[in-house]
Amino acid sequence: MTAAAVPTTHRTRRALVASRIGWTTVAAAALLLAVLLSLAVGARAVAPGAVFDALLNGGHSEDAEVVRQLRVPRTVVGLMVGAALALAGTVLQGITRNPIADPGILGISQGAAVGVVMAIAFAGVHTLTGYVWFAFAGAAVASVAVYAIASRGRGGATPVKLALGGAAINALLVSVTMGILTTRAAALDEFRFWQVGSVAGRDAELVGQVWPFLLVGTVLVVSVARGLDALALGEDVAKGLGQNVGAVRVVGGVGATVLVGVGVAAAGPIAFVGLAVPHIARAIVGSDHRWLMPMAALVGPVMLLVADVLGRVLFPPGEVPAGVMTALLGVPFLVALVRRKAVPA
Amino acid sequence: MSTATAGRKPATKGAGVRGVRPAGYSLVRTRLGTRRVSFLVHRRAAAVACALAVLLSLVCVAYLSVGESFVAPAEVLKVILGQPSSDELVVGTLRLPRMVVGLLVGAAFGVSGALIQTVARNPLASPDIIGVTQGASALTVFAMTYGITSFTVLPYLSVTGGMVAAVLVYVFAWRGGLHATRFVLIGIGFAIALRSLTTLFMTKGDYLVAQQAQVWMTGSLNGRGWDEAAPLGWVLLILLPAVAWAAYAQRTVSMDDGTATALGVRLGHVRLGLVLLGVVLASVATGTAGPVDFVALLAPQIARRMTRTAQIPLLCSALLGAVIVVLADLFARKLFAPTELPVGVLTAAIGAPYLIWLIIRSRTAGAGA
Repeated sequence: MTAAAVPTTHRTRRALVASRIGWTTVAAAALLLAVLLSLAVGARAVAPGAVFDALLNGGHSEDAEVVRQLRVPRTVVGLMVGAALALAGTVLQGITRNPIADPGILGISQGAAVGVVMAIAFAGVHTLTGYVWFAFAGAAVASVAVYAIASRGRGGATPVKLALGGAAINALLVSVTMGILTTRAAALDEFRFWQVGSVAGRDAELVGQVWPFLLVGTVLVVSVARGLDALALGEDVAKGLGQNVGAVRVVGGVGATVLVGVGVAAAGPIAFVGLAVPHIARAIVGSDHRWLMPMAALVGPVMLLVADVLGRVLFPPGEVPAGVMTALLGVPFLVALVRRKAVPA
Repeated sequence: MSTATAGRKPATKGAGVRGVRPAGYSLVRTRLGTRRVSFLVHRRAAAVACALAVLLSLVCVAYLSVGESFVAPAEVLKVILGQPSSDELVVGTLRLPRMVVGLLVGAAFGVSGALIQTVARNPLASPDIIGVTQGASALTVFAMTYGITSFTVLPYLSVTGGMVAAVLVYVFAWRGGLHATRFVLIGIGFAIALRSLTTLFMTKGDYLVAQQAQVWMTGSLNGRGWDEAAPLGWVLLILLPAVAWAAYAQRTVSMDDGTATALGVRLGHVRLGLVLLGVVLASVATGTAGPVDFVALLAPQIARRMTRTAQIPLLCSALLGAVIVVLADLFARKLFAPTELPVGVLTAAIGAPYLIWLIIRSRTAGAGA
């Protein structure tokens, strides 16, 4: 384990808390900077002063319109999606005690994708805000299926059974997606642009649609923080500490599902945030979930917003979608992290 | 005490060469030329392998019988045995080569998955997850998007992509040794990045190219024949001794590192060998039929649950992989006829429910590696 080794003396505990508060402050500052960049940088560069002016005093210059109409919704969606996916990944890794668990591998993102494919192919839905409910429904169905499979048989929903159940459901869902896409060319033509994962072209209506879910999901996952800490010590120890292991898994799982639904519905299947951010956050503040969750919720949006901004300026006049950039940026991060130390499993 | 294969029964119970046999194993003694050879055979694994071989034969006959026109199994056997038959063209020229490709691809994926899962010590690890098939897909779809559509060139590109991805993962994961978790994590990272690059390439071309790329990425045996079967067959034949070595070396990797090192096993080398073999198998299979998803993930896990051995059984994984792919292609041709689905759609649809059923009725809480 990392910095979360049990502090023995009063002084080390205080030093640990101080360092955690310090790092959390640094992460918050980084997030503010990322938000500012996301509002100012792009095909039309806007000076930071003009950004503040547009936000605080309104005005109808072209710069102000661009900032308010295009970049504010885009930035808010980036914030929400980044935080949602990072929190979801943290909880899923905690529940399954598997360092490679993330929304993608457990089949939850794929569930949302199937929902969207069906919306395009059979329900005639062709707008982002229309996709949202289908994505949610798909994520929920996939999660319930995975948990139902894993909790059957002896021993209940053990980490390995959860992971295997996720892989199996993922397999089924991918086959459904591919079956539809290979037989319906028109659906593929639309779906291929959604499956890249992007926060461009999102509007305020979408934000209004998903924020209640973000709130509910966050409350649910935060409520099981202590339970996940206990679970990290093993199931028997957790029970001995008076935790209801089943309840922790169900509540955490429901919260994570809602959060993944938020992320995928709003931005498509954005890769890597849910997998890499928990590891990055753990490296910074250790494995205590009460610190880990806020840290992940700060680092996730930083990663997504920075990726989005880089994607805007990399190959002008075109943009590289945020979902591709997160993956490309995430790899060096993950490699550095994984090489630096033993990975806490 | 019944031995599964030829050989003398040991005279007294437990009178093996050295001490007592582990439970569930039989000692097989035989002669190779003038040398006497003996080895242990896991009885249940041997029985499962035989059963799977029988199943595979049945599936193959069914595959050759069913299609646009039904050919009686008796006629199919005639064609296979080289006797004159009126159905020579349909069975021997159209269906047989495609079936052989499916069989080889399935076996290669099965063994590949078994090896990678053994080294990674993680039931989720497979060439689908650690970047090999994604590397192959990324390079292939990139080539398709920018105008290379010839199926004589694409297989080489996909093998190249798969190998390059694997080498990168290995290099980045290596740090004074190959730690299983580190290997899997970095592999997944590369897999995700390559996958998202592939989705980006798919948005760059027009939709016909995207459609072609989608079919290839799903894994398909459409239009595959002897031209594809022959090189794949040769490669697999050449790799056969390596696979035999892998079956033997597997045990050392499944011990804990301390024990293996104490026994003088050079773990790093063994792991490198096993991963490399797994990657080569997955790459050539992907080059031939595209990344037929989940065969490499599911076949070893299913095989292991059937045999209940400590290691993932290679032979059974190969047989199961072949069964899954051939059976899936049979359904892919027939289900929505005349529309042919890519086989990859069905490999998952067949394998996943079985894996789910196994998880549900597994007797141990651990359920796997």
